[in-house]
Order: sequence, then structure tokens, then C-alpha cells
Amino acid sequence: MIASAPLDFAGLADTLRRVTVAISDDGAARGSGVLWPRGHVVTNAHVVRRSRVIIGTVESDHLQAELVARSVDDDLALLRLVGIELPTARLTETAARVGSLVVAVGNPLGLRGALTAGIVHGIGPITRNGAPWIHADIRLAPGNSGGPLADVSGAVVGINAMVAGGLALAVPIARVLEFVRSAGVAPR
Amino acid sequence: MDALLALSTELAGAVEQAARYVVGVNARRRFGSTGVHWRPGLIITADHTVEVDEDITVTTPDGRTLAATVAGRDPAIDIAVLRVDAGDLAVAEIATEPARVGHIVLAIGRGPRASWGLVSAIGDGRRRHPETGDWLSLDLTLYPGFSGGPLIDARGRVVGMTTSGAARHFQIAIPAGAVGRTVDELMRRGRIPRPYLGVGGQSVRLSEALRERLRTDQRSAVIVVDVQPDSPAAAAGLMVGDVIVSLGGARITEPGDLRSVLRPQQVGETVTLSVARGGDPRDVRLTVGERTRRS
Repeated sequence: MIASAPLDFAGLADTLRRVTVAISDDGAARGSGVLWPRGHVVTNAHVVRRSRVIIGTVESDHLQAELVARSVDDDLALLRLVGIELPTARLTETAARVGSLVVAVGNPLGLRGALTAGIVHGIGPITRNGAPWIHADIRLAPGNSGGPLADVSGAVVGINAMVAGGLALAVPIARVLEFVRSAGVAPR
Repeated sequence: MDALLALSTELAGAVEQAARYVVGVNARRRFGSTGVHWRPGLIITADHTVEVDEDITVTTPDGRTLAATVAGRDPAIDIAVLRVDAGDLAVAEIATEPARVGHIVLAIGRGPRASWGLVSAIGDGRRRHPETGDWLSLDLTLYPGFSGGPLIDARGRVVGMTTSGAARHFQIAIPAGAVGRTVDELMRRGRIPRPYLGVGGQSVRLSEALRERLRTDQRSAVIVVDVQPDSPAAAAGLMVGDVIVSLGGARITEPGDLRSVLRPQQVGETVTLSVARGGDPRDVRLTVGERTRRS
């Protein structure tokens, strides 16, 4: 049964905005990123095309980050923050369930920190025998790329990467962990 | 955030519950649709997704393939009923109360795949099928292959069958009550009878003067161009040139309406047609016949 407490999407949005960044590489905002692991940002490979980028948080713009690793196949990139300490996102420890609520925070069409809500639609490959993706029934737009898909406890379950057939596709957190480890960075 | 977590867990639980009785239906060339194990051995799906009458299979949640036969069809409300040897396949739990505007609902497709949203309205504004109960208009996305699948409430109980085929641009569900009545009819008669009038027609525009005389605001009706011999229409005295304005209280604006407003359970019943003959309104009483396989 649902408790009588309010459904606090606003509180959830605040939590996630603190660990979501905007990324630009030539002045124009290109996408979003997640503050994780400590001292780093994960985002999509297609968001980062230069070795140095500018990131913006809820508190300050014009922070610098440099590219550590990039995988076009997984559409993931890892950035290192230069000379600044920032909060770190919490990751999910459980597998996503079809039907569970998810939210996305990002910068769709340049709108900073926008929240959308939906559910996990399915989990599976998008090409025959490919790696699994999280398919979410949630509205995303260009600028959400690289941002968090999170459960309603605020834990990140995937990195939003693209929209196909009206569905959002996110890289599952397990694959993000592998990518970060292979880049020689401790995943915490 | 506890309430959000509770809701999230409830929705995921509802999908898991539904996944036990949702099957894939393989009855068209391109890609399959979805079906619901409504009663033991009976699968319901969207009629428009059943393009063949033979070599139909359903895919169970655990991946088995079962042969299926068409037990009955009701194209008027886009329902087909398939018969399978279901074994221990779980049977859907049907909600006892009708859905309400504002309820959170989930549409489930084979897989399972899920989408969520709200019941945004009841009825599509036209009330074409007053006796079936109104369609549920949905504020959610029916993804390819979802047609024929269940619309469920947050507890995993079926409140309707989704279809995108009956009304383009609308995401709708046939209420569970209407689906149940169709299945009842099938059980009672052993088949879903197809209503038969024996009349052919064409759309015709109603002039301002005729609209006034008929006391209607509808802009078109159907002019009879053919009355089949020995048909219900012939027995009722319907004549070529009659303009059919309504049938059993439902508007007739195009020839397809003659088929879509009639329900299987109306076979054998007498309905009233409002017609204009030589510009004069009159009522014609007609006993609905049953279409045989050949007619």
C-alpha cells in the first residue's frame, strides 16, 4: 500500500541536480554528466569530442575537466575534475525491474536541471546478441545525453544515451562500472 | 521519498504479476502482438493483429510456443479470442471495479515490456458503442506490438485490453467488462456470431433541408444501393434509395458504420433503423441476421 506521505518528486529532483552537470566543449552545451566516481564525471562518448571540456554544476559554471577515457562502443566517457571537490552520486546496487519508477535529470534542449519521470519499459539488447540496455518509458531530448537515469531513492541505474522509437535507452550501471575499472579508476 | 519507493515497488510488482498471464501472439506477418490469458484456455488479443486464420501460435512467458486456433472474432470492438491448450499458464486477474479518470495504469506488452500513464478520459466523445461501455482513452504510449495486451492497475489487475488499431491517433483500451461480455457470448453460443443485414450502401451528404426534417445535425448518411434477396434487410422492406441515418440509435455516416455499430449479441434481436424514403423520415424495424461463413 502507498503511504500517506506525499510523492516527493521535487526532493528527488534536488538530490539528483546536485550530482548532475552540464557539459560543453566549445561554448555550446552538448549534454549532461554524472558526478561519479569521486573527482570524476561519467557521460556519453558522443557528448565529449575534445580532451578538455567545461562543466557546470548547480553552484558554478566554467569548471574544467579533462578526458580520461572514451569508449565509442559503450557510448561512455570518463572526465577528471581539475582542482575541485564536488559531491558524488550514489549508484544502485540492485538490478532494474520492469515497471519500477525512474527519473532523468539533465539539460534537454539547454533547459538546466530538468526532471522527467517514467518507468523501466524493458531490459535487453538493441542489436542481435548485443549488450543489454535499459529501455525506459520516459521523455528525453537532446541534452539529456550523459545524464543520470535514477530510481526513486536517487540512486543512479544508468547513463542516458539516446532516444529510439520514443523510448529512452540508458547504459546500465554494471557496464559503466566495467568501463571505469578498465580506465584504471577506482569505482567509488 | 518513501511513498515514491512504495509506488515504484508496487508498479514493478504489478508488471511481474501481469507477466505471468501475458503471451506473445504470432498471427501477422510483420511482428507479433500481445495477448491475455483471460479464462483457462482462452487468449484474448486485438482483432486487427490477427491477420491469418491458420498457423497461429502464442509464446508463453517461459518461452514455449503453443498452437492456437481462432475461437471467435468481434471486429466491431477489435477483439479476437484464441483457443490454446494452456496447461498451467496463469489466468489473468480481472479488476472488479471499472477504471476511473486519473487512475495510474500500465500497458503491458509481450516480454514483458511496460509503459505507464493515466486514464485520461472515458469514451472517445462519440459514444459509438453505448452498450459495450465506453473506451478508455489513455495518456500513455502503446509501443509497437503492445496491441491486445492488458491495461493493468497498480495491483496488476486487468482493467482493459489496449489497442491502437480501432482509433488512429488515440491510445485506447477496451474496458475489461466489454471484453468479458464478448468472451461470455463465445462461451454461451460456442462462437461469436457475426451480425448480418444484407444491405449495401454509399455515403451521401444530407442537405440542410433534409437534416431539418430528420431533426439531426449529422452531415452524412448511407444511401442503400443494394438489398440482398432473402436477407434481413429485404424482409424488413428496406429499398434501394432509402437513406439510413441511424441504426439502433447509433449514427450511420458511412457504410462501415453499418457493420461496426452492430454487436454479436444483437443477432436475432430487432433493431430500429431511421431512414429517409423520398425525403420523408420513417422507422424500419429489422431483425438482425447472422452472417454465415459464405455470405
